[in-house]
Amino acid sequence: MFGWTGKILKVDLTKGRCWREDIPPDFLHVYLGGRGLGVRLMRDYYRLDPFDPQMPLIFAVGPLCGTAAPTAARLAVVSRSPLTGTIYDCSAGGRFAWQLKAAGLDALFISGQSSRPAVLSLEGEKAELLPADHLWGQSVHKTAAALKTGGSTACIGPAGENGVLYANIMMGEGNSVGRGGLGAVMGNKRLKAIVVAGDGQAAVADRARFDHARQDVMRLFRASPVIFGELGIGEYGTPALVDLMRQRRMAPTENFGRTFFAQSGNYSGPAIRKACGAKKDGCYGCPIQCKKSTPEGEHLPEYETVSHFGGLNGIADLHAIVKANTLCNELGLDTISAAATLAAWGEIRGRFPAADELSPLLESIAFGKGEGALLALGSRRVAEAMGRPELSMSVKSLELPAYDPRGAYGMALAYCTSNRGGCHLRAYPISHEILRKPVPTDRFSFSGKARIIKVAEDTNAAIDSLVACKFSFFGATLEEYAELLSAATGAEYSPQSLKEAGERIYLTERFYNCANGFDAKDDLLPPRFYREPGSSGEGIEIAPIDRQRFDEEMQKYYRMRGLTEKGTFAGGDFLGHLP
Amino acid sequence: MRDQIAKYAAKLRADRSAVAGEIAFAAQDDVLITDGNGALATFAGDVLSRLNCLGLVVARPALPFADLLVRRAPASEERIFPNDTETRTFLHDIPFLRRNELGGDPVGRIARMLGNRKGIIIEGLGIVASGAVTIEQAYINYSSIFHSTFVKYLQDVLDRGFLLPEEAGIFEAFRRDWLQPLTPDGLSFTETPLTSPGEIFGEITRVGRYTVERGLVDSFFGNISARVGDIIYISQTAASLDELAGCIDPVPMDNSSTTGITASSELIAHRRIYEATDTAVILHGHPKFSVIMSMRCQEQGCQITDCWKDCPRVRFLGDTPVVAGEIGAGGLAKRVPPVIGAPGKAIVYGHGVFTIGRNFGEAFRAMVQVENWCRDEYFRLQAEG
Repeated sequence: MFGWTGKILKVDLTKGRCWREDIPPDFLHVYLGGRGLGVRLMRDYYRLDPFDPQMPLIFAVGPLCGTAAPTAARLAVVSRSPLTGTIYDCSAGGRFAWQLKAAGLDALFISGQSSRPAVLSLEGEKAELLPADHLWGQSVHKTAAALKTGGSTACIGPAGENGVLYANIMMGEGNSVGRGGLGAVMGNKRLKAIVVAGDGQAAVADRARFDHARQDVMRLFRASPVIFGELGIGEYGTPALVDLMRQRRMAPTENFGRTFFAQSGNYSGPAIRKACGAKKDGCYGCPIQCKKSTPEGEHLPEYETVSHFGGLNGIADLHAIVKANTLCNELGLDTISAAATLAAWGEIRGRFPAADELSPLLESIAFGKGEGALLALGSRRVAEAMGRPELSMSVKSLELPAYDPRGAYGMALAYCTSNRGGCHLRAYPISHEILRKPVPTDRFSFSGKARIIKVAEDTNAAIDSLVACKFSFFGATLEEYAELLSAATGAEYSPQSLKEAGERIYLTERFYNCANGFDAKDDLLPPRFYREPGSSGEGIEIAPIDRQRFDEEMQKYYRMRGLTEKGTFAGGDFLGHLP
Repeated sequence: MRDQIAKYAAKLRADRSAVAGEIAFAAQDDVLITDGNGALATFAGDVLSRLNCLGLVVARPALPFADLLVRRAPASEERIFPNDTETRTFLHDIPFLRRNELGGDPVGRIARMLGNRKGIIIEGLGIVASGAVTIEQAYINYSSIFHSTFVKYLQDVLDRGFLLPEEAGIFEAFRRDWLQPLTPDGLSFTETPLTSPGEIFGEITRVGRYTVERGLVDSFFGNISARVGDIIYISQTAASLDELAGCIDPVPMDNSSTTGITASSELIAHRRIYEATDTAVILHGHPKFSVIMSMRCQEQGCQITDCWKDCPRVRFLGDTPVVAGEIGAGGLAKRVPPVIGAPGKAIVYGHGVFTIGRNFGEAFRAMVQVENWCRDEYFRLQAEG
C-alpha cells in the first residue's frame, strides 16, 4: 500500500496493553487520515463523557505524512472536548507526526486510564508503557528533554495533569495540540507523554508525478504575498496580521468591548523582530517556517497570542506577552483560551489584569490554586459563576480568537457553524475577507457567505485529513494537493472528491454534536456582537451585526447542509448511510 | 448574487472576450440561480449542481482560438499546456473535450472534469470555468483561459503556420475586426509630482482603469504603484486594474508595518525597482503580444529547458530588454531592476511588461509603445512565414 501503512496501534491504559490492528484500505481511502480517520474512529464513543476512562484519544497522521509534500508532516488529535462538549480535533505539526508514520502507523487509539502516571514508548514495531511518576508535575520542556533520547515526544504539562479545561498537548519542538482541552483528556488518563521513534520510509506510487505536483505547489507559494511575500508570514510569522487587523479596525480589545487597540504596534511583526531578534523557525519539513523564535531558541508568540494577551486584556508590554506565551508553553496551556478567560474575568470584575499579573495568574490556573481553580474552567463557566454569562466571548464554550466578527461577516457565521466551537480555522474566511485569497469578498456583506462557508468547511476538513497546513492554501489549492495525494497513494483523487470526503467528515461531526444536544441555539455569537458597535474610524464603520440577516444566512446554511431549521438531522440514521 | 452575475456578464462583453449573446452564469446560494443565454444557462445550472462550488460561467469566446487549438492538437492529446507563466502557474493545464467526446452524459463528464480543474474547453461550445467561492472567481478563470489560449494559439501559428483550411480567414478577420489600435491619445495624466494620498489613490485608480479600457491588459492581469517619499502605494493582490478604489495599500519602504501583506505579489519587484532607480511610478501588465514575443528565442544549442525561470541572458525586443524570472518571490524581482532603469521598460519572459516613469503618462506611453512594437513585429514575422 502506498500513502498509508494500514496499521493502527491500540492502547488500553487500564489493562496496560498495546497491540496493532489493520485498518481496511477502503476505510482509509474514504476518510483519508488525520481528522477524518479520527472522527470515523469515534463513532462508537462520541456519547461518552470526555473524562470517561473509555473515551478514546486518537492521534492520526495522513497519507502525505512522511513524503516531501509541503507542510504535510502533521497529525490530528481527536477526542471529545471537556471544554466544549463537542467532538474535537486539532492539527499540529512537528517531527512527532513524521516519526509516528515512520514507526509504521497511521493512528494511535488510546483508551482506558492508567493507575499511575505513564509514558507510552514506541520504537518501530515495539510499544510499551513505562512508569512516569518522576515526570508527573514537570514542565513540558523538562518532560520533552527527559524523553529526548527515545525519539519525538507529545506530552502534557501541569495544566493537563490538573484538568484545566483548555490544557494543550505539546509536541517536543513546541507545537501545540491546542484549544479544546485534549491535554486534560490525556491527563485524565494519567498519560504524561508519548515518545516515538521510527525509521520506515514512506513510499510514493508515482515519483515523477509527485515531484511535478510539488513543484507546482512551491511555485504557488512563491507567488503568494501572504506566504513568501516580504511582509508575509514567512518573514514575520502570523504577527504579520497585527497591523492589518488594526488597520481594518477588527482587533479585539478589552474583551471585544472595542475593536481598536492604539498600542498594538508594540507587538506587531516588525516590532517583535526588532525587540526579540526573531529568526525563522517552524514545523519539521515545512518550507514556510512561519514560527519565529529568539536567537536563544525561545518560541515567540503567534498572532492570536499577542493580540489576546495584548489588546484583549489592554496590555501593551511585549515582554510580558512573550513571557506569558513561554509560560503557557511550559505549563501546557492554550494561549487563546487562557487570555480570553482572563479578559472575561477582567471585564466582569471591573479590572483587566496588569502585565505583571499575567505570570502568577497563569501559574495559578495550571495548578488549580486560588482564583486559578475557577479560571481553569474557561470563560463560559467563569462568566456563569460570576453571574455575567453574556460576557464570555465564546461560541459553544470555545473562546473566540483575534478576529472581531463585526469586521468580517463570514467570520461571524463561521464561528457559529464550526463543529468545535468558536474557531477561525474551520472555514477560515479571513483568507478571502481580509487576505484576498483566493479572491476577495466583501467583509461587510452576508451575500453568498453561507455557501462560501460550507465549501470552505468541506475543503478544510479534507485538508485536516491529508493532513496539510491551512497556510499552504494562501497559495496552493486542492488541485495541487489532490495531485500530490494521487501521486503518493496511486489512487485517483480530485478537488471535488476531496471536498466530498470533507463534507462526509463535517456532517459526521455535526451529527455527533447534535446527538449530544447541540442545535441552532448553540450556533450563536455572544449578544454583544449583535448589540454593540465596534471602534469605527478612519472611514471604516464597525456596526453591530444585523441579527436578522445573520439568522437568514444561518437558515440558508442549514438548508445547504440538509439540516432542519433547528440545525439538526431530520432522521437518526445518518451514520447508517456512511462507510 | 444576481448583481454579481450582471456585473461579470457585462465585463465579458466589455472586454470582448465572449460573444455577447452566448454568455451564461450559474450560482448556488441556498437555491440554484441561472442567468444569460437560455440553453447555456440550463447547461450551466446542470453542471454546477453537481459541483461543490459557488459559481460557474459558460461562454463562447469572441475568438475561436481555443477551438482551433483543440483541432490542431494530435488526437492523443486531451489538454492544453499554457506557455505563459501566469496561467501555467495558476491553471497548470486546460483540459478539453472534443465535439465527438461528449458521450451520453455530457453534463456528468464535464462536471467530473471541472472537479479537477478551474476551467475547461468544450469544442463548439466554449469555455466553462468555475469559481469555488465567488462569481468573480469564475470570471477570472474564464479570463485566464481566454488569455492563455490567445497567447498559445498565436504562438503556435508563428511556429507552425496555418494547419486548417479556414485558419487564414479567421486570422485575417481577427486582425482586421477584433484587434483595435493601441494608443494613449486622449487620455489625461497628472504630469506634476503626486503628493497627497487622495491624489495618489485617484491617479492610480484612473490609470489602472485606462489600461483595461484601452485593451492593454485584461482587468485582473497586472499591478501598479507610485512612490511618494518613503511610502509605496501599490494595488492589492487579486485586485482588478479597472476597479482599484479601496484596493491600494500604502507600504513603508522600511517595512516598519505589515499592513501591506495584502499588496500585490509583485511588491518585492516594485520595491527593488524603486531602490535601483529614481522612478516615481511603476506599471505592470500582461499585454498579449509582448508575452508572445518574449518567448521567441533564436538561441541555438542552448541547454536550458525552463527558459522562463532559468535563462540568465538579457535579450532585446527592439530596445526593450527581456529577462527571465518567476513571479512573486521568484527571480523576476532580481532580474528586472538592473535592466529597467535606462530604457524605462522591461519584459519578463512569458509573463508581462514593466514600465516606469516620472509620472503615469510616461509609464503608460512606454507600455503602449512596447506592446505596439511587439504586435507589429509579430505580424511581420507571421507574414514572412
